Amino acid sequence: MSVDISAMMLAIFLPLFGAIAAFLLPRAAALIGLVALALTTGAVIWLAREVWQSGAVILPLGGWGAPLGIDLRADGLSVAMLALTSAVGLLVSVSALDALKGAGQSRQRQYFWPLWLLLLTGINGVYLSTDIFNLYVMIEVIALAAVGLTVLSGTRAAVQAGLEYMYASILGALLFLMGVGFVYLQLGRLDFAGLMDAEPTGALIAAVALMFVGLALKTALFPLHFWLPAAHANATAPASALLSGLVVKAALYIVLRLAQYMPFPSEALLTLVGMMGAGAVIWGGIQALRAERLKLLVAWSTVAQIGLIFVAFARAGELGLTESWKAAALLILAHGVAKAAMFLAAGRIKDEIGHDVIRDLDRSPIRPTLAQFTFALAAISLIGLPPSLGFIGKWALMEGAMASGYWHWVVVTMVGTLMSVAYFSRVFAGFLRFDRVRAPVGEHQGWALADAAPLTLAFAAIGLGLMAAPILSFLEIGYPFGVAP
Amino acid sequence: MTDPLVIFDLLLALSIVALAVASLSVRDLFAMIVLFIVFGLLSALAWVRLSAPDVALAEAAIGTGVTGALLLKTLHHLRFVAGGQGLRAGSGGTSMAPAAPVPVPVPVGVILANAAFCGLITLGLAVAFLGAPSAGPGFDALVADAMPDSGVAHPVTGVLLNFRAYDTLMEVVVLLAAVVAVWQIERGLSDAPAPVMGEVWQGFARLALPAIVVIGTYLLWVGAEAPGGAFQGGAVLAAVGLLLLLTRAYVPRPAHRGIARGAFVLGTAAFALVALLVASGGRVAFEYPLEHAKTLILLIEGMVTLSIAVTLAALFHGREPVALPKGGRDDT
Repeated sequence: MSVDISAMMLAIFLPLFGAIAAFLLPRAAALIGLVALALTTGAVIWLAREVWQSGAVILPLGGWGAPLGIDLRADGLSVAMLALTSAVGLLVSVSALDALKGAGQSRQRQYFWPLWLLLLTGINGVYLSTDIFNLYVMIEVIALAAVGLTVLSGTRAAVQAGLEYMYASILGALLFLMGVGFVYLQLGRLDFAGLMDAEPTGALIAAVALMFVGLALKTALFPLHFWLPAAHANATAPASALLSGLVVKAALYIVLRLAQYMPFPSEALLTLVGMMGAGAVIWGGIQALRAERLKLLVAWSTVAQIGLIFVAFARAGELGLTESWKAAALLILAHGVAKAAMFLAAGRIKDEIGHDVIRDLDRSPIRPTLAQFTFALAAISLIGLPPSLGFIGKWALMEGAMASGYWHWVVVTMVGTLMSVAYFSRVFAGFLRFDRVRAPVGEHQGWALADAAPLTLAFAAIGLGLMAAPILSFLEIGYPFGVAP
Repeated sequence: MTDPLVIFDLLLALSIVALAVASLSVRDLFAMIVLFIVFGLLSALAWVRLSAPDVALAEAAIGTGVTGALLLKTLHHLRFVAGGQGLRAGSGGTSMAPAAPVPVPVPVGVILANAAFCGLITLGLAVAFLGAPSAGPGFDALVADAMPDSGVAHPVTGVLLNFRAYDTLMEVVVLLAAVVAVWQIERGLSDAPAPVMGEVWQGFARLALPAIVVIGTYLLWVGAEAPGGAFQGGAVLAAVGLLLLLTRAYVPRPAHRGIARGAFVLGTAAFALVALLVASGGRVAFEYPLEHAKTLILLIEGMVTLSIAVTLAALFHGREPVALPKGGRDDT
């Protein structure tokens, strides 16, 4: 009896079985985790080939088919998100081997892998789902595993931040569930196809509003971002990279999908979303300028960048929604890669120097040069200098905004960019030494194999910009709106 | 003439709201928990009146039973810690102030603004709810059509374990993630001493334990034809674990960790393996062959029930068993 396996099932079940094995065999957890990650990446590559050759693929689970059953569907956007997740995940996992090797970290070593693999199960599940109730279940999986990762470091600040994160996350999920209830009440269906072309009645508008607020809470859109900085800044470095690079993207992706299938929000509502994004860009920037610690600065920059993604999403008004999702998707990919690199680099710097107080970075006799270089490269992509992927995303954003005459979004983007230059410069200034401390020995202690993974990510963040055209055409595969006119 | 059931429903609805308000406003934590438990029981009754006995069972067993036990245990812990030893949190090791709530006066304006805002949102949602079709289209007809192919007779079980089995698998994964997350938190504090048990206790446990096992297993078995199933049965069986833990009839030890881990993942692993392995000969994942559907569903439910029971009991214990203090849970 041969078992028919599809790449989509593997992308969800490989991490799940990996998590089970890693939980059962704590001593071999790291090995199991890496193997599971590598195999999952292989499955995603297989899936990408399938999608590339024959367009979107659908798998009706249980053979029932929507709306009774649940379908899995992979199109260009799903596969791009899956690829981001597994590629970034694999590199973060490699660097986690080094980051968690301390003697006092046996507990973290033991539990990082099952939690991270469960998280991966949930994230991959979101990207393949076509059913809003299933999405709710998936974001619950993500929420619990992510809270577990947040408190992994075991410090009191992390536990406190994790608790806050959990409250926010559960509240967000409940709001989303309430929205799902309204959709079911109105339409009697939960699958994406059932949502399309629905008349925007009161119940559906309530549903969209509830789901959007719930997701905004989960993705930390200003002013619902309160939980993010503490949670991301206090986690251990690999966990921070996963939380900031990947976890918030799942909720963002659901927003993109809802915008695609639900009745279009009105112009005024879209402007409101854009204004929330603009608020995030500015408030996140101000807080990043004021942050005293490196990881906190990076966490606030996540708030600002997520705001920018929402600006990209809302920038061209109602008509532009068929086009603007691409700018948002590019920014999501760019931020995922660059922010993971940056958090890992920040973690390396903290490990080497022993603290991450920005003001005292240049006083340290130790120079983790490679980690600092990685940080700078990642910052280039986040600021949006060419030829990085961040640049392409911002370019698409501004091009669309200008084409539709919405100049105010261009201004917001520019202000955000300038602010990011300003707050990252604070860190760069700390990297440059003005010979406040002379250390004859140990000058370049900070070179380690552990820098390889973040450096690769940072180079990818820059280099992917050169591949923007193929990425864009891949994103469009199987997209229901097709290529916009 | 008014149907007496309408009056009953009205009274039920009113008392549920009143209990919710009371449990939110009462100051004493113990009273709050008791009110919450009563609130849960009445909600279960409301689910029965809404002809959703499956939800009612789940609400009674999990929402009220297990949650109530968790709340009471937390309260016991808080009182013990506040009364005696300092609370050390994690590796930080800083002592935390006893959980004395510091009342922060909120300006009246803020309260009013909040109330107005929340009121507006509630009003909006109520309008949207009333505007929606009251007996809207649903899955009922689809489910009824597909029931003969599902292998079970009870529609809820058909939906949960066949039509939308993927969702249910992921719900079990949520529970697994919860227990992994709880186990990895090293709280660095000792357990509260066991409450002193009266004389009645031993006799009660002797009578109750076998009955609970029978009820839990029955709920699982009957799930194929009537309300019941893995989650309800598992929650009832978890009560066995709670009793064993409370009476110290079972004290988890580090040596039991392997077995406990196995029990946690059993349901997820069995469910996922079945889902994958049935995909052959033109079938896709989760597509059980009809002649084996009932067996497979029962197998899955049995394993999931065990996992749920052990996991809930372990969540009640609340930590990975470490050397010396009391611990997680046996394997029923």
